Amino acid sequence: MHRVTFISAVLFVAPLVLRAQQPTVPHDSVQGAVHAVDVRARSVDVMTGVGYALRVVHLQVPATVPITSREAGQRESIKLSELKPGDVIRAVFGGRRTGFVAYTIERVGRMESGVESKP
Amino acid sequence: MTRRWIGLAAICGVAACHKVQPGDPLGGLSATDRAQFDSGLAVFDNTFTPQVGLGPLFNASRCGECHEDPVTGGNGDEVEHHAAVFHPERAGAMCDELADKGGPVFQDSVTPALHAALGIDREPRPAIATVVAERSTPDIFGFGLLDAVPDSVILSYADPNDTNHDGISGRPNRFFDGRLGRFGRKALVPTLREFNAGAFSAEMGITSPSVPEEGTVAGNPLPTGTDPAPDPELSARGLELTDAFVRLLAPPAPLKQSREARRGRDLFAQVGCTGCHVPTLRTGDNPIPALSHKEVAAYTDLLLHDMGPQLADICFGLAKPSEFRTEPLMGTRLATQFLHDGRAKTLEQAIEMHGGEGMRSRDLFEALPAADRAALLAFLKTL
Repeated sequence: MHRVTFISAVLFVAPLVLRAQQPTVPHDSVQGAVHAVDVRARSVDVMTGVGYALRVVHLQVPATVPITSREAGQRESIKLSELKPGDVIRAVFGGRRTGFVAYTIERVGRMESGVESKP
Repeated sequence: MTRRWIGLAAICGVAACHKVQPGDPLGGLSATDRAQFDSGLAVFDNTFTPQVGLGPLFNASRCGECHEDPVTGGNGDEVEHHAAVFHPERAGAMCDELADKGGPVFQDSVTPALHAALGIDREPRPAIATVVAERSTPDIFGFGLLDAVPDSVILSYADPNDTNHDGISGRPNRFFDGRLGRFGRKALVPTLREFNAGAFSAEMGITSPSVPEEGTVAGNPLPTGTDPAPDPELSARGLELTDAFVRLLAPPAPLKQSREARRGRDLFAQVGCTGCHVPTLRTGDNPIPALSHKEVAAYTDLLLHDMGPQLADICFGLAKPSEFRTEPLMGTRLATQFLHDGRAKTLEQAIEMHGGEGMRSRDLFEALPAADRAALLAFLKTL
């Protein structure tokens, strides 16, 4: 293929590919407790809700998603495998046809020790 | 002139003698707050039908169907069912409230449309549930005052490691986002507003701006056509008014105490009941003056206590199966059944069923002479 044609094709197709990977609904966020982590499937289930109306938010966590931990005023990167049930996390996510996909995940504490926050 | 003064004195006398009755609003409300209370009562007592959003799974068709005795906002004889799975081996996350399988509240009624679609009469309980618990209907008088108590006050009573060696080790429950819980028999829910919004969903299947999505049937999506009302089924205004009604309900004024009841009040403290049933809590700053910096004779610390294996049922958040929040005793004289599931039919039975951290006080109560036991019970019947 001619080099100019190839570059043109890449420039034409790349935005379409990137757009396909973008969420189809606006960003949402959730703060809740880690219910389960599946490192192999790269997913995390977050327990949240309002009163007794509880729900589990299933998030896919692509390898590029920044996962951080905020402890003692410091923020450091951690791996998905370091998230444990009972960790309180704040996740920003969006929706795709395949489900919710995390953009960022921040561990803000442990449920049993409490977290200062407003819903 | 004299007649005018006599009339004024009579009015003042009547006002002074007026005791807050069950179902009354807090005293000193602004006209706006009072109007919200009255409008909220109408929403609280409104009967929902499937056409306007009831169900398709539900426990009742209006709030006042359960909270009804002796007036709207009171207790009720209805019992509902909660289920969970307890994993004692999972440190830090021992409880699965079955939220992805329809839990923790498993509704006991379905709309005709859901019955026609699935042939069920109630939400199926998952087979993995280790316990299905019963929950009786408490009154909600004075809950706005409990909501207005600062976290710091509640936490000041916590003694999770029993460092004072009194055998009582209250500890806080927390919601999943880490905030301090206080509402519900296991103290999971942090605020009254969330408790109310969640109840519309969990008890009546009514969506609202706070809970915009319909629940599932044991974790499965609702069959098409079984929930015809558009979401949200309750407006933000309706939710706000309901919240105002519940928030502004006054606790019933305690009855005048006889000499026997006053002696019973002292015995209540002497046998250690006040270790958990803390007589008064103080509210903090609040935008509603009637809730701001008030003493509330709640007789609770809003903390979890181990009540022993005989009362144990489900886990909930951080609460283990045997841990329950200290039940507020304001309005106790209006109750006809006691404990979280109504298994005690008298106050004496309720005391006798206290185990765990309540065992020492129970034993001391049982060792009292009959007249002293009667005095303590007489005191409780003034609350």
